Amino acid sequence: MTATEQRIEKLRTEALSAVSDAATTSELEDIRIRFLGRAAELSEIKKSIGSLSPDERKEVGKSSNLASREIENALSEKKNDLASSERESKLRKEAVDVTLPGVPFQRGNLHPTQRIIDDVVDFFVGMGYGVAEGPEVETDYNNFTALNFPEGHPARSEHDTFFLDEGLVMRTHTSPVQVRTMLENEPPVYVVCPGRTYRNDSDPTHTPMFNQIEALVVDRGISLADLKGTLNAMARHVFGEDAKVRLRPSFFPFTEPSVEMDVSWGDGWLELGGAGMVDPNVLEEVGYDTEEYTGFAFGFGPDRMAMVKYGVHDLRMFFEGDLRFLRQF
Amino acid sequence: MRVPLTWLREYVDFDLPTDELVEAITLYSQEIDDVYRFGVADGEVVVGEVVEFGPHPNADRLSVAKVDLGGREVQIVAGAPNPYSGARIPVVLPGSVMSDGTKLKKAKLRGLESYGMMMSERELGISNEHEGILLLDDSYEVGTPVEEYFPVSETVLDIEVTPNRPDLWGMIGVAREMAAIFRTNFRIPEISFETGGKPTEEYSLRVEDEDLCPRYDLRRVSDIAPGAKAPLKIRRWLHAAGMRPIGAVVDATNFVMMESGQPIHAFDAARISDGIVVRRAFPGEKLTVIDGSVRELDTDMLVIADEERGRAIAGVMGGEDSEVNEATDDLLIEVANFDARNVLETSSRLGLRTDASGRFERGLDPDMVDFAMERVVSLISEYAGGDIAPDTASAYPNPVEPWRVSMRASRAELLLGMPVEKDDAAAILEKLGCEVEDEGGTFSALVPTFRRDLVREADLIEEVGRLVGLDKVPEVLPKTSLPGGLTDMQKRTRLLRHLLADIGLSEAMLYPFGPARWRDDLGLDGEPVRLANPLSREMSELRPSMLPGLLDATARNRAFGAPGNGVFEVGHVFAPNDTPDRAAALRFRSKGEKGERSEEELMGVAEEARVGVILAGTVRPAGWNVPPFEADFFEAKGIVERLVPGAEFEPGGEPFLHPGRSAIVKVGGEDIGWVGEVHPEVAERFDIEGWTVAALELDLSACRPDPEPRFEPFVNVPAVNRDLAVVVGGDVPVGAMLSAIEKSGGEFLTESRVFDVYEGAQVPEGKKSVAFGFVFQGDETLTDEVVNGEMSNIAAKLEEEFGASIRS
Repeated sequence: MTATEQRIEKLRTEALSAVSDAATTSELEDIRIRFLGRAAELSEIKKSIGSLSPDERKEVGKSSNLASREIENALSEKKNDLASSERESKLRKEAVDVTLPGVPFQRGNLHPTQRIIDDVVDFFVGMGYGVAEGPEVETDYNNFTALNFPEGHPARSEHDTFFLDEGLVMRTHTSPVQVRTMLENEPPVYVVCPGRTYRNDSDPTHTPMFNQIEALVVDRGISLADLKGTLNAMARHVFGEDAKVRLRPSFFPFTEPSVEMDVSWGDGWLELGGAGMVDPNVLEEVGYDTEEYTGFAFGFGPDRMAMVKYGVHDLRMFFEGDLRFLRQF
Repeated sequence: MRVPLTWLREYVDFDLPTDELVEAITLYSQEIDDVYRFGVADGEVVVGEVVEFGPHPNADRLSVAKVDLGGREVQIVAGAPNPYSGARIPVVLPGSVMSDGTKLKKAKLRGLESYGMMMSERELGISNEHEGILLLDDSYEVGTPVEEYFPVSETVLDIEVTPNRPDLWGMIGVAREMAAIFRTNFRIPEISFETGGKPTEEYSLRVEDEDLCPRYDLRRVSDIAPGAKAPLKIRRWLHAAGMRPIGAVVDATNFVMMESGQPIHAFDAARISDGIVVRRAFPGEKLTVIDGSVRELDTDMLVIADEERGRAIAGVMGGEDSEVNEATDDLLIEVANFDARNVLETSSRLGLRTDASGRFERGLDPDMVDFAMERVVSLISEYAGGDIAPDTASAYPNPVEPWRVSMRASRAELLLGMPVEKDDAAAILEKLGCEVEDEGGTFSALVPTFRRDLVREADLIEEVGRLVGLDKVPEVLPKTSLPGGLTDMQKRTRLLRHLLADIGLSEAMLYPFGPARWRDDLGLDGEPVRLANPLSREMSELRPSMLPGLLDATARNRAFGAPGNGVFEVGHVFAPNDTPDRAAALRFRSKGEKGERSEEELMGVAEEARVGVILAGTVRPAGWNVPPFEADFFEAKGIVERLVPGAEFEPGGEPFLHPGRSAIVKVGGEDIGWVGEVHPEVAERFDIEGWTVAALELDLSACRPDPEPRFEPFVNVPAVNRDLAVVVGGDVPVGAMLSAIEKSGGEFLTESRVFDVYEGAQVPEGKKSVAFGFVFQGDETLTDEVVNGEMSNIAAKLEEEFGASIRS
């Protein structure tokens, strides 16, 4: 072995041992420069090959190339090792406490009564109904007279009406929307009318404002059976498949026959609201042909439905704007 | 209407447990409000005779009695001191169950055995008397069950009678209804009496206002025993029906009222001068009524007077000085019919509601007067002796006759949606008192005068439907080919509510009325819409704005410890409107006649749908990784920009807002609402001092939370982003700079935004630095030269219009 070959062998051993000892990728880079860089001894040896004898040239060329290749391989192998462990340790350092809360995309709340109203309205829209609305300050005519409550009728005094200027009232029910709808449209009429209503009354189960949903259908051949079927379908939609509606006699000036509707709840019955076949006087008042057309109407309280559905016992909470209440819906 | 069942059995037979009876009445006729029980629910009450009565050896307040129960003697400890040796008393035996559910056991009271209990009137359900033991007279046989003399147990149904059925305000009407429900029969008591007393005609009768008094009958009963009492059976029924037994005469009038539904008034004849005059009250006429109060009447009210003065308010309440008293021995009995509406108006104006007014105001049958008169005079003479006058004075100028109503079987089936058996339908109407003729598919019913609610075909159909049974009506769904659906406005409102909830706000529903203070505290001028009869002063005016209710809710939340709140409400606001023609307005309001005017002019109230939002204090507290959401102007403005894309903002506006942090919101030059921080003084008046409160209120119809999208074609060429920072005067509105940039930014500028505004170090005093970010987009890749050119145009524009200098 020539002296040159001995130097190559020494450099090779040194380099491999340095590679194997390296702890970081940057150390590896230093090692690469030291042993394979332009100014490295091995590079000097390669540059000097031209000045050697042909025999020597062959031998030195071969062993220096082998040494370079071996160092390069070791370097790249080591580099891969180090890189993956560095990556791992970096990821380890980046670990977070996944039990900390995420960025809050806060959920707000819809009013419980509105949730019921939206649900019921959607149900009726699916059945082909339109949605009608009207003002909360109403005329005596729309709220009472047109609905067959003549002046001085005892049913008027049962309404605990808020009065405003002469001839104006806070509507006591959503039924004036029936009148407005029928005055503006020819039959057939299929509408549902949700809205706020007002009565001069206040205790845990009565508030001076409450909500009603009214439905009105006027068409050829509409009967009490249509009313019953519609109520049952709605009750099943709102209260579940087992819900049943029962009708019992009642009195409202604007329906004849009039019925009260109860929905099964637990072992008993829950009063849902009033209903009936639209009174011929009402149909006549809006100019409909009472022989050709019949209709049904019903009204009920979505606040009460919300109370039952969500387990609220005090109606007054619905209208206080109290976050402790609102945030639960 | 309280119906004691033992009383009802006088007129109709039934054999049903109470719960089934209640259910039947509920399903076929009327709602039952409540069921009350009196006396001994189950057990035995016998007549006993006190053999010995003396003090309890171990207790000062107790007594002890030896009582003969008819062949056996028992010892009973009593609390009351009134029995005496020889007294006959009711004794309830051990094992019996009282109406409140307690079971009586043999007991030791202070060391002495007590076998059962001697009973007070209250314990027996006869009256509220509980001071002493009920003492029975000698007609009660010792050892006999008390039940043989009068019922010791009572169940009372409280029927909620609907306003169309005044006939059910009498036992006979209820009995007729029961007979119709169960298809049985009922009985009307037979009346027989002898006459011969002083004639009624010694008193005159003059009805001056027939319009308010369709019928007035008067009959005299003379020489009655003053101070007589009605039989125990009658007093007991009256008590159970919720009336206070008073004396034979008044009890008889109340009994017949309860039986027939017809109110009756008895005058002390000795106090009536010359005769009865039925007339409207004189202006300012005063009358002292039997409750002792002095009532001032007006000329719309009807009085029963004599030739001297008013003696009763017709149909409402009698006068004090002609009232029957302990000394009365000569009576004038009034059985009359008064106009329903007039009685309603009189009683509500005077705040006097009585059993009589409650019946008259529903409209009674004038033909009921005959039965009620005969029945009451016969009972008075039965209870108090006395001689019934041979004659009755009667003013009944226009007698009511039964009327005919037709009902087509086919129409009944159409309306009820179920087959109707002809025989069944006819039987039902007959049970209700109609005389029915079947005219081949059409029934002609002669309706009795006590059913004034049955005047049209639909009224008869209702009767048939409910008594056939509403449970028999099948279920079908109407078939319509209408599409249904929400209007665009309704869809937008729904979306808006969901959007506000999705950014973390809570939806409220608040009363639209509040105190007058609201307007003062907000500094609002102008008249509000007022309620004529508010529930309280705190709820007397309709809201002119959504804000005050939201401020009150905020104060409430703060008082309960919330660090802030974000609440919204969709609702109506109200303002007065001019009504140029008041007469036309009143015609519209009462008769629906619109005439030439618009509805707005006729209503006199402008009602508008709004959305209101309030952000107060710390709406959402800081998280470990996010800053808190604090209420301020720009949070509120951001919501407006989300709800109304393209809205314009003009500084200033409402008096209740911070003058430097508020804006009028406009769309196309029209005001559609406002946004701003609430003036600190206003916040203070609403008890939320110290909190920043930002709010907004928008016309709901102007909100476009999801405008219809429109596709713009784009080219696949990279966009170029550039920033520009300029220094301008501190008072230059950045909004104006942005719109100047948008107007003059050239064809390639597609987006511009403000990403920094800075005042302070490195910026000269009185100036601010504003940094804009721009996006340029061309059809081909834009060269630096082109973009630089655009940028210098923008800079030049800003310099020219706002004196801006580029910050380097």
